[in-house]
Amino acid sequence: MSESQTKNTSVAGEAKKRRSIPATAPLVVFLLAMMVFFTITSEYFFDIENFRNILVAMAVTGVVCVPGTLLMISGQVDLSVGSSAAVSGMILAKTVNAHGIVTGLILCLVYGLIIGSINGFFVTVVGVSSLITTLGTLATLYGVALLIGNGQTVGMRNFDWLGTAQPLHVPLPVVIFALLSIVGAVVLRKTVYGRSLYAIGSNPNAARVVGIRSNRILLLTFIYSGVASALAGAILTSQLSAGDPNAARGLELEAITAIVLGGASLAGGRGSMFGTILGLLVLGVLNNGLILLDIPTFWQRIAQGAMLILAVSFDQVRQKLNDQRQ
Amino acid sequence: MKVDLVHLENIHKSFNGVEVLHGVNLSLNAGEVLALLGENGAGKSTLVKILAGDVPPTSGLITIQSTELARLDVYQARQLGVRMIFQELNDAPSLSVAENIFLGQWPGSNGFVSWKDLNRKAKEVLDRLEVDIPVDAMAGSLRVGERQLLEIARAITQNAKILVLDEPTAALSNVEVDRLFVVMEQLKSQGVGMIYITHRLDEVARVADRVQVLRDGNSVLTTVGKEASRSDLVTAMLGHEAAQNARPTPIISTKKAVEVRNLTSYTEFENVSFSVDEGEVVCIFGKIGSGSAEILESMFGLRPISGGEIMIFGNGFRPKNPGVSAEAGIGYLPADRQRLGSFGSRSVAENLSVRAWHTMGRFGFVKSSLEAIAFNKWADALRINSRRGPTQEIATLSGGNQQKVLLARWFEAKVNVLLLVEPTRGVDVGARRDIYEIIRKQAKESNMAVIVATSDYEEVVLLADRALIMARGKIVSELTGNAVDANTLVSVSS
Repeated sequence: MSESQTKNTSVAGEAKKRRSIPATAPLVVFLLAMMVFFTITSEYFFDIENFRNILVAMAVTGVVCVPGTLLMISGQVDLSVGSSAAVSGMILAKTVNAHGIVTGLILCLVYGLIIGSINGFFVTVVGVSSLITTLGTLATLYGVALLIGNGQTVGMRNFDWLGTAQPLHVPLPVVIFALLSIVGAVVLRKTVYGRSLYAIGSNPNAARVVGIRSNRILLLTFIYSGVASALAGAILTSQLSAGDPNAARGLELEAITAIVLGGASLAGGRGSMFGTILGLLVLGVLNNGLILLDIPTFWQRIAQGAMLILAVSFDQVRQKLNDQRQ
Repeated sequence: MKVDLVHLENIHKSFNGVEVLHGVNLSLNAGEVLALLGENGAGKSTLVKILAGDVPPTSGLITIQSTELARLDVYQARQLGVRMIFQELNDAPSLSVAENIFLGQWPGSNGFVSWKDLNRKAKEVLDRLEVDIPVDAMAGSLRVGERQLLEIARAITQNAKILVLDEPTAALSNVEVDRLFVVMEQLKSQGVGMIYITHRLDEVARVADRVQVLRDGNSVLTTVGKEASRSDLVTAMLGHEAAQNARPTPIISTKKAVEVRNLTSYTEFENVSFSVDEGEVVCIFGKIGSGSAEILESMFGLRPISGGEIMIFGNGFRPKNPGVSAEAGIGYLPADRQRLGSFGSRSVAENLSVRAWHTMGRFGFVKSSLEAIAFNKWADALRINSRRGPTQEIATLSGGNQQKVLLARWFEAKVNVLLLVEPTRGVDVGARRDIYEIIRKQAKESNMAVIVATSDYEEVVLLADRALIMARGKIVSELTGNAVDANTLVSVSS
């Protein structure tokens, strides 16, 4: 309560000086610093082909990050995306072999709608927390993925374009991710639905009392997440030309790390699509750089876990700084 | 015997180069209650935070129990016996009363808690305060006022000598307020000094030995509690004389907007019937727990009803949930702003526009420019003080300004019926008057029917065309025009 009774004068100059630290600014600095570091330490890093690799590697995670960001902003989380992508991939591999590509993709889409609805139903209608609901579906779906292929990888023929085609030299998965994230950014910034997500995340009780149809909105967002995970599974399977129940393991951790790095708060009400893309780039560049430096792959896992904790700690420090300034 | 507990001398405090305290002095003796008054933003909170070691002063001298300090931190302050009791509860609701009183300092040995000792000691403390609460009850099952007493009890067991009470009565019923004052008398006799922050001027004469008023970071008045007249205090707080408590000019209306017939809930109220005309402001006055707030909750779909009907402009209306009610042109302002009203981390413009988004663009889109325009329009009309304009986070505004934003939310949504519960709770005197003025003006200009549930009789006098008085779930009386007066309200409602 430090504000003095300044009369209604909005002093523009003062307002600029007092602007709080943007969540994304330090992330940009960190990303650039990392790129400089890897450029110096590895001769292969600063190369258009390598950048393409980085983008392809982050595209699959990126696809689930789009609804993931919407969910995190509304105070929810979907941990099931990894297993869900695996199930989708197994379904695709099996049906493409037997009934063709179109049937396979339609089945994936239907599967995505169903799993999204199931998650959403338990969270909104039954009222189980999304953390627990999707932790449950994460475990269940991993079992389902193993069940479909009898624990084995299922080879898939004649459908690698979804994962590997390069229209105008841009990999198709990257195009898909770019389109989805643009839509996501517009939805978040410019639509009633997007703003309602922020409101729900900021104060779910107030959202209910002000008459926002929270359940409807959250159910819809979980369905998006289900469909996105199905799509991610399809892309992954197409890249590998095989449905592998273990291919998407840890996808949820990577997605959440990127989203949190990007400034979305687990407490809800904060975050942006742009931030999430930056978070993805940081992870992508880090993984890529570690590979180029010949560092064993298990270090990537360690680095990723450390990043998640760092990101959350940083968010706390930033909020404390902002509070002090007010 | 006068024992100096606290001496604050020439305290200055600046945030970001803006000075908010300009050399304030404050002293507190043992066994004394000092009422600290002032509008929001006057510097009360900053001053007591300095005393608690939460905020370091820019300059000035702090003396607590004869220990001179240029700086003090939270631990030092606790060591010296300073404790703060906030309006928001800081207890552990799932633990027992006894556990809460000795939170973190449970008696026992070798890491084991001795339940027998714990309960016996807790009982002793409560007896000493003349408070009758079962020590094995779960804290969460108690009433707000009881839980507050629990926190005071905890402070006492930790050897508190200086107790700061920050608006402790804001959420309490009259009975609970009386009980709190009894406890405060007990503490006085035990030599505890108390700084009592409040917005309720009628409490000052009842409880305070001395009064100190802050305005814009200066101490403008210090006087003996019993001698402080209400108008002196208001003048000191505002810096100018307050408008007289004039009754508003009545609104002559023609058309029935809301009609409630025999509305009954499961436990809170029964057979409530009344009607409200277009442009009319009706107050439902009753103590907390009388059912007045609950009627409005039911009308908005937040609480189930077991019988009766509601007509809006002659059509039957069933409040299924808040979404349905809001879409039917009904607005609702909850008493608990933080928990049920504002989206703390979002901007004031978004908070204001949330119910009007669908009118601010097509195909589900919202234009930010229209949000900003709406905010600026209402900021002017309601005198909303937001330093960074439409983009400022609402949580950083003072209570009064936040409340204005939440009111404007429903004005911007152009509702026909507005339900307000305790619209000025925790709002300072100046903003309070603004709010009354705006409610009446908007009701008149846009033919809005306004129903206010309140436990503040002054509010009824200043706001209502008509007053319904509730006691124990029933409407017991109705006052119109000049019959609405403070004495009648208080005598009929008890």
